[in-house]
Amino acid sequence: MFQPQIAVESLTKIYRVPQRPPGLAAAIASLFRRTTQDVPAVRDVSFTIASGEIVGLIGPNGAGKTTTLKLLSGLLHPTSGSARVADCTPWERRPEFLRRISMVLGNKSQMIWDIPPLDTFRVLGEIYAVPPAEYRATLDELVALLEMEELLTKPVRNFSLGERMKCELVAGLLHRPAVLFLDEPTLGLDVSMQTRLRRFVAEYNRRSGATVILTSHYMADVVALCPRVIVIHHGRLIYDGGLSRLAARLAPFKLLRVTLGEAEAEAEAEVEIEGAEVIERENGRLTLRVRRGNAPAVTAQVLQRLPVADLTVEDPPLEAVIDQIYQGDLTGFHNLSGLEAAR
Amino acid sequence: MTPLGTLNHRGGWALVKSTWTSWLQYRSFFFLLAFGWMLPPLIYLFVWSAAAGAGQVGGLNRGQFVGYYLILILVNQITYAQTNWTVGDVIRSGGLNSWLLRPMPPLYNVLSSELAGKVVYLAFVVPVAAALAVLLRPEVHPAPGGVPLAILATVLAWALRFFWGLWIALLAFWATRADALLAVQDALVFLLAGVVAPVPLLPAALRAVAAYLPFRYMVGFPVEIVTGQLHPAEIATGFALQVAWLAAALILARRVWRAGLRRYSAIGG
Repeated sequence: MFQPQIAVESLTKIYRVPQRPPGLAAAIASLFRRTTQDVPAVRDVSFTIASGEIVGLIGPNGAGKTTTLKLLSGLLHPTSGSARVADCTPWERRPEFLRRISMVLGNKSQMIWDIPPLDTFRVLGEIYAVPPAEYRATLDELVALLEMEELLTKPVRNFSLGERMKCELVAGLLHRPAVLFLDEPTLGLDVSMQTRLRRFVAEYNRRSGATVILTSHYMADVVALCPRVIVIHHGRLIYDGGLSRLAARLAPFKLLRVTLGEAEAEAEAEVEIEGAEVIERENGRLTLRVRRGNAPAVTAQVLQRLPVADLTVEDPPLEAVIDQIYQGDLTGFHNLSGLEAAR
Repeated sequence: MTPLGTLNHRGGWALVKSTWTSWLQYRSFFFLLAFGWMLPPLIYLFVWSAAAGAGQVGGLNRGQFVGYYLILILVNQITYAQTNWTVGDVIRSGGLNSWLLRPMPPLYNVLSSELAGKVVYLAFVVPVAAALAVLLRPEVHPAPGGVPLAILATVLAWALRFFWGLWIALLAFWATRADALLAVQDALVFLLAGVVAPVPLLPAALRAVAAYLPFRYMVGFPVEIVTGQLHPAEIATGFALQVAWLAAALILARRVWRAGLRRYSAIGG
């Protein structure tokens, strides 16, 4: 029988946040009578993830991604709903559960600051009771994959952000977790370091068969690593499926990039094209946004009416699609329930 | 499951060793802290030995005051629970998350820096106290059996001071500036635990208060035992009160920790 590594059912988390109008009088009043407001962070989210999958969890700031990860790693208790991760209920925080998972946070460090990473790694090996032979093998493998041999004996304090992130990954993986939560692992890193970390995560997943949930604001991370994405917006799951279908489902339009013949460029560029929206106009280049179904007709119209030197039809960049979702501008969908039906 | 969760001594010991390594990088900083902590008793050492002059005050002569305060400096350093000050920061800064993600009770993290700290501080305080002993010629006349009893009382005093401070520090789950209460605790230790004057020398009213509150049992009590200021009956009562307060501190720390963790997992760090 199929046993998912992560199974989430109607998971809901509502924070109760104290509320207080500004001013001293209100501050004093709040000492006696506290008013609170319920802030739903995650609402009725359900999904399952199979062993060995890499899934991207995406959504704007405050959408509920980190809350979801904290629920799945046992740091938070849900308001309602259930979750099973690696055969355990996360928030019971059993030692056998904690041994099977790992959470690496891009903005928090678990390294001991003043001593070389090797010392922190040894402590973690002991805490997770990793047998010495296995510890050495895992460490050697991770260090080789991340090419960080020379960092092992220098104090962490002096490391760059990228070097520190490599250490965080080793620290998080020494006990060979079956489930890995990566929260913004490439935050603040330069492009080449991002690429290397991505390659590492993919390679690690391939070798170890670990299940990975990744959150990131860099779409390149998601494109490179996650065949499947879960989109969360205002705490609700609005899309769960293949990355390739995301654009088609959520942004059912194409981009027509037109380069005009130089002589007539300026004058002709003013022409209105029916069924297309001009979203960029620069030096004789036009970018038109066209509904998917209309693309052939609009292309024909453009070729007929404009002095075209070059024309391409593209899918919109993922960033633009995501931005549209975040802005709530869901062209082609009447409402969110339509979106949910789409998955 | 124990009150600490599932035990993990192996991980705890590794943590102690790494904390040592880490703290030894900052020897001079910790030595300065330790120097700061030994200053008040050192000042009162000189005040009381000057007051005694060639005679006696409250039954103690100059050499006995020197002995009392040098031992108090050591006991104060051994029982000072410096981690009480850092627990609140860990809770506020979200550092608790990485403690909670590990298969080890977070108390180990606290105890390991406590233990590592003791070694680093004592590496400074013991030689300094020894040098002062050579210079100031203390007089100590322990009663028979006084030394082992005092050692036992010192260990209990540390546990009491640590867990009493811990439950106060854990109030950081609710209030951002709970460490103000720790400053109050330090002030009460200064006043009622034998630092400003040996407890038997306090005015009667204050002495009665000191005898029943927990603070004397955090520092002064073991020093009074080893310097022979207490009758056997007083020692027995003292141990009973010390153990009772320790039990209270353990129960409070455990309750506050559980309630705090419930709140933490409800609202997040």
